[in-house]
Amino acid sequence: MVIENGKISAPQIGKMIYLAVTPTAILSTPAITYQFAKQDLWISPMWAFSGVIAIWIALSIHRLFPGENLVQAGERILGRKLGKVFGLVILLYYLYLGGVIVREYGEFVVGAFLVQTPLLVVSGSMVLVCAIVVRSGVEIIARFADVFIPVFAMLFLLLIIPLLPDLHILKMLPIMGEGIGPSLSGSVVLQAWFSEFLTVSFLIPFANRAEKVKKSMAITLLAVIVTLVSSNLVTLLLLGELTGNYNYPFLIVARYINLADFFTHLESLFMAIWVLGAFVKICVFFYVTAMGAAQWMNLREYQPIVFPVGFLLLLMSVWVAPNLQELTHALSTSIIFSALTVLVCIPAALLGLAWIRRQWGKKNLQD
Amino acid sequence: MEARRTWIVVIPIVSVLLLSGCWDRTEVNDLAILTAGGLDLTEDRKLELSVKQYLISPSSSEQSGSFSSDTGGGSGKSVLRSSRGVSMADAESHLQQVLSRKVFWGQDEVFVFGQRLAKEGLAEPMEFLTRHPIPRERANVFVSQSPAKEVLELDPPIERSVSQALRKMAENETGLNITMKELAEMMAGRSRSAVIPWVEIKPGDGKQAAFAHINGTAVLKNGKMIGRMNDAETRGIMWLRNEVKKATVTVSPGKGKGLVSLQLLRSRTELIPHIEGSKWSLTVRIETRDDIIENTSEFDLSLPDHMNELERELEDDIKRRIQMALRRAQKEMKSDIFNFADAFYRKYPREWNRNKGRWDDLYSNLEINVQAKVKVVRPGLTNKSIFKPEQR
Repeated sequence: MVIENGKISAPQIGKMIYLAVTPTAILSTPAITYQFAKQDLWISPMWAFSGVIAIWIALSIHRLFPGENLVQAGERILGRKLGKVFGLVILLYYLYLGGVIVREYGEFVVGAFLVQTPLLVVSGSMVLVCAIVVRSGVEIIARFADVFIPVFAMLFLLLIIPLLPDLHILKMLPIMGEGIGPSLSGSVVLQAWFSEFLTVSFLIPFANRAEKVKKSMAITLLAVIVTLVSSNLVTLLLLGELTGNYNYPFLIVARYINLADFFTHLESLFMAIWVLGAFVKICVFFYVTAMGAAQWMNLREYQPIVFPVGFLLLLMSVWVAPNLQELTHALSTSIIFSALTVLVCIPAALLGLAWIRRQWGKKNLQD
Repeated sequence: MEARRTWIVVIPIVSVLLLSGCWDRTEVNDLAILTAGGLDLTEDRKLELSVKQYLISPSSSEQSGSFSSDTGGGSGKSVLRSSRGVSMADAESHLQQVLSRKVFWGQDEVFVFGQRLAKEGLAEPMEFLTRHPIPRERANVFVSQSPAKEVLELDPPIERSVSQALRKMAENETGLNITMKELAEMMAGRSRSAVIPWVEIKPGDGKQAAFAHINGTAVLKNGKMIGRMNDAETRGIMWLRNEVKKATVTVSPGKGKGLVSLQLLRSRTELIPHIEGSKWSLTVRIETRDDIIENTSEFDLSLPDHMNELERELEDDIKRRIQMALRRAQKEMKSDIFNFADAFYRKYPREWNRNKGRWDDLYSNLEINVQAKVKVVRPGLTNKSIFKPEQR
C-alpha cells in the first residue's frame, strides 16, 4: 500500500535530517554539556556514536527490507501483533519527542523574546503551519529543507564571524586536562540528539535513488558535528565559565556581537535561525508521526489524520514538562535514556532478530 | 467542491485571528529608552536605581519640524529618574512609577555602581542584570567614587549622553574596559577577584562644566570592593592582563639628564606558571615593540649601542610598573585580579584541583618573576635630535 507518492533525492534527505537535528542541539545542549565537559565542551560533539549506530541500523533495515521503513519492517520481523506493539512504541515516542521540540521552541521564543505572549499561541501557530506543510507531503518538506539550508548556514556564519575578535583562545585550555572522561560524559546528552538520525529510516523509502543515501548521511553526520563543534567552541571562547550558567548560551553569544558599533543586537538573527530550524525539525517529526500512524492503522492516506496528530502534538508539548527547569532536567536525564532505548537499542535488537531469522531461513532452505 | 467552500470561509477567519498584529507589540514612543543605569546604596540600606532616559522626540523639534537640532549637545534631551527598593528587581519595578513611558533596558549600555554599594557587594544587582533577558551582556560597568546618581546627572557637552561619554572613554583603552559579561566571568571565575574601571567627577569651574572620567580601578574580591588602584597601578594591571593597547612610556635614562618617551605599538604578555614540588611560581614574560616619540636625553638614537642601552632602561621601567601593581594586589589586597589562577589551572589541572581550596594562601606567597623584552623598532621621523647641537 503506497501512502506517499512523493519522491525525494538523497541530498534532500540529508538536508532534512541536518535541520531535524542541529537547531535544538545548538540551543539546548551547550549548557548541559558544559556541566560535565567544562572546557572540553567542544570535543563532545565528536563522540557521535549513537548517530553512527542509528544510521547504520536504518540503512541495514532498509537493505534487508527494501522500500520499507522501520515500523513496516518491524511487523515483518516480529509478526503482526508484536510488530504492532513495536510500531506503537516507536510512533508514540516520535509524538513525545515532537512534543518536546514544540515545547523547546515555544519556551525559547516566549522566554527570550515574547515574554507576554502565552506559550500556546506561539507553539500553536507553529504546529498549525507545520500541519499545513505536512499535509502537502514529503516533497514539500524536502524543498523547505533545500531552501532553508543556505539561509541557515549564512545566518550561522553571520553570527560567528563578527565575534572572532572577542574570542579568547586561552579559554579552551587545558585540552582534555582531566583526560578523555569529561568530554565523553558531556557527550551523553548529545547522544539523544544523534539518535534522532534514526529518522532517516522513515525517509529512505521515498528516495529516488536509495543507494546514494549512505553517502549523504555520512556527509550529514559530519556537517552536524562540525556545526556543533563550532557553535560550542564559540560559546566557550566567549563565555568561558559562564557557559553553564546561561539557559541559552548561544543566544548570549548572538547578543554580544558588536561590529563597528553598528551591527549590534543581533539576537533577531538568531531568532530567525531558530524559527527556520525548528520549523523543519517539527515538520520532519510531525510527518514521521502522522505518516507512520496512518500506516500503522492501515489507512489509505495519511492526510486526514494530520490535524488530529497536530492537536496531539500540541497537547504533548504541554504535557512533557510543567516548566522550563523540568524540561531541561528531562533533557539531561530521562530523555537521553529513553531516546537511546527507543531509537537505538530496540531497533538494534530488531535488526539482530532479522539477521538471525534470515540465517535460520537460509539453513532451512539448505536442509 | 463542498470542502473547498468550507476552506474559503475558514482560512479568512483563521487569518483574521493571526494577522491582527504582534502580541508583544510596543511603539517606540511608548518606551522610556534608558541609556545608563546607576545603582547606589542609600543611608537606610536600600538600593537606589537611577536611570538616564534618552528622549527621542524632544518637544522643540516638534515645533521646528526639523531634525537639525538632533546633532550634538545634551541640553535637556536626557532625563534622570530614580527609585528605591529592597532589591534590584524591586527598585526596577518602582521605577515604572516615576516614568510615564514603559521602561526599556535594551539600549542601556552603561551601568555605574556607587562606591558604597560596591563595598557592600555587587552579587545581588549582577544576579538581576544577568538573569533578566533585557540588559545587554556587552554593557560597560563602572564603579564611581561619588554616588552613581551624581555621575548620571552630568550632561557632557560633546557626546549625546553621559553613557556614551563613559563608554567611549572606556573603549579608548587608556584604562580598563570591562563589560558586564566580563565582570560576571571574573566574579564567577577561579580567582573570585574582579576589576572595574573607577569613575571620578572632575568638578567644574567657571568655564568648564563638571565631567566624569576614568581614573584608576576598583578591585573586588568575592563580589565586594576591597580597594582602589590609582592610574599608574592600573597600567600595571593592564600589562599583566595583556590588555595594553596604547601606552606612552617615559623614562629618564641613567646617562645624563633628560627624558625619552616611547609609544607602544604592540605588546604581548604571557603568564608561565611552574609547580616544583610544593613550590608555586610564575613567570610573566612581556614582549613589546615601540616607537620613540620624544628624546631630550644624551642618547644619540642613530647609534645602535645607545638604542640597546635605552631598551634595557625601558625594560626596567616596565618591570617597575608591573611590580608596583603586583605588590599592591598580591600583598595588600590579596586578590588575584590578574587571573593567575586560570593560568595555573590551564597548565596544571590536576594539581590545581587538589589545591584550589588554598589558592588565596598560595597566591599571596607566589613567587613572581617578571621578564620584559622591549624592542624599539623606529626612532620616529628624526634620528639625531635637531635641538642637541653636540649630537649634530
